[in-house]
Amino acid sequence: MTAIPTPKSNELAEQLARVALRDHAALRRVYEMTSSHLFGVALRILGRRDLTEEVIQDAFVNVWNHAGSYRVAQSQPMTWLISIVRNKALDVVRSAVVRRETEMPTDEEGEVRDIPDTRPQALELLMQAAQTLRIRECLAALDASQRQCLALAYYQGMSHAEVAEHLSAPLGTVKTWVRRGLERLKHCLGSEA
Amino acid sequence: MNDMLHPEVVDRLAGEYVLGTLEGGARRRFQQLMLERPAVRVAVAAWEGRLHKLATSVPAQMPSPKVWAAIEARTRPGPRDERQGAGWWGWVRGLGQAAVAAACGVLLTLGLVRSWPEAFVTVDQVAQREQVLPQSYVGLLLDAESRPALLVSSTRHGTHVAVKSLRVLEPPAGKVLQVWALPREGVPFAIGVATVTKPPGSTSFELSESSEALLSKVGQLAVSVEDAPVAPGAAPSGPFLLKGHCVKLW
Repeated sequence: MTAIPTPKSNELAEQLARVALRDHAALRRVYEMTSSHLFGVALRILGRRDLTEEVIQDAFVNVWNHAGSYRVAQSQPMTWLISIVRNKALDVVRSAVVRRETEMPTDEEGEVRDIPDTRPQALELLMQAAQTLRIRECLAALDASQRQCLALAYYQGMSHAEVAEHLSAPLGTVKTWVRRGLERLKHCLGSEA
Repeated sequence: MNDMLHPEVVDRLAGEYVLGTLEGGARRRFQQLMLERPAVRVAVAAWEGRLHKLATSVPAQMPSPKVWAAIEARTRPGPRDERQGAGWWGWVRGLGQAAVAAACGVLLTLGLVRSWPEAFVTVDQVAQREQVLPQSYVGLLLDAESRPALLVSSTRHGTHVAVKSLRVLEPPAGKVLQVWALPREGVPFAIGVATVTKPPGSTSFELSESSEALLSKVGQLAVSVEDAPVAPGAAPSGPFLLKGHCVKLW
């Protein structure tokens, strides 16, 4: 498994600026540069390709309509796009219909979750990202449960309650783990946008 | 809500919001707060910058071609369809559709041009494409106090005259508003009757010949009040109620 090469931010920012001027070819370029990464991010949260396709569609229609609101000074273009996609995916996954399906013991039932069983576990993704970002030692200050909490929430889009159920831990404990985990991540990842 | 706005609290909530663990009503309230408070948006942007670095390790997944096709359908302005994302089959299918459409278009065009030549491309469509107003005769008729009252227009080679009321015009009961053309040389001649409408209402009437034939030597248009539409060759029975220059728009 390889880390996703992030598209060159400058080029992406330039294409987004063109999209803001209603350049449809630029939207296509943005899509080509980012859609597979964004699809991967949303698919991990949603677990179903059909829902992921809808989220990616909505996200890019959103980008087409609101590219003018992207500010280079405030965030990296990829960060902005991931935020749009993740927020939409979280909205969908929190809706009652999807909740019911993802709460089923689906890891063994391929017809419900479209992610193959060989997919990396959330904790693996976190540690891999930590390796790439050179924050592995920094994250070592958290115990395994805390790291697991963050990983499930970030990569799988799990709620406090879902994490608690998944780890068989009390809800209050999970909330505390998440809070401490975020504090640690803030320390490790720095404050630059 | 005050304690919620403490910077440390905002920062903690922003972290939970970006992570996704802020849920339900709390998430919605926080989103509302983002709309209202720039400081909250700044905190969120900072957390997005941090946490989304973690997405770097997520394996990419290629979406199916239909995703782009759907995006294109929802974003491409107008009916143009370049089929960029439909792939090889879409391209072939597009060619097929184009061929059928072209054949239908030829048949339809032949039929239409024979039976209804002006309808083939409307004046407005041409004007839109050329980014100019269509060639027309236009008269802006003023009342006795020089206030614009009636806009009269007709395309250069058409017989249809559009009349737009700009002020309330109320002829006495049972009377009509007779529209006159005033040639630069010669006597006024009647061209039609304007129905009264409430501004900015529009009505129309038909000329006996094309605008070009009737109005090319006309400098002014005018309106008088008559008992009934006047007979050809008749003169106005009284003073003009409205009057204005008639100009060629080309």
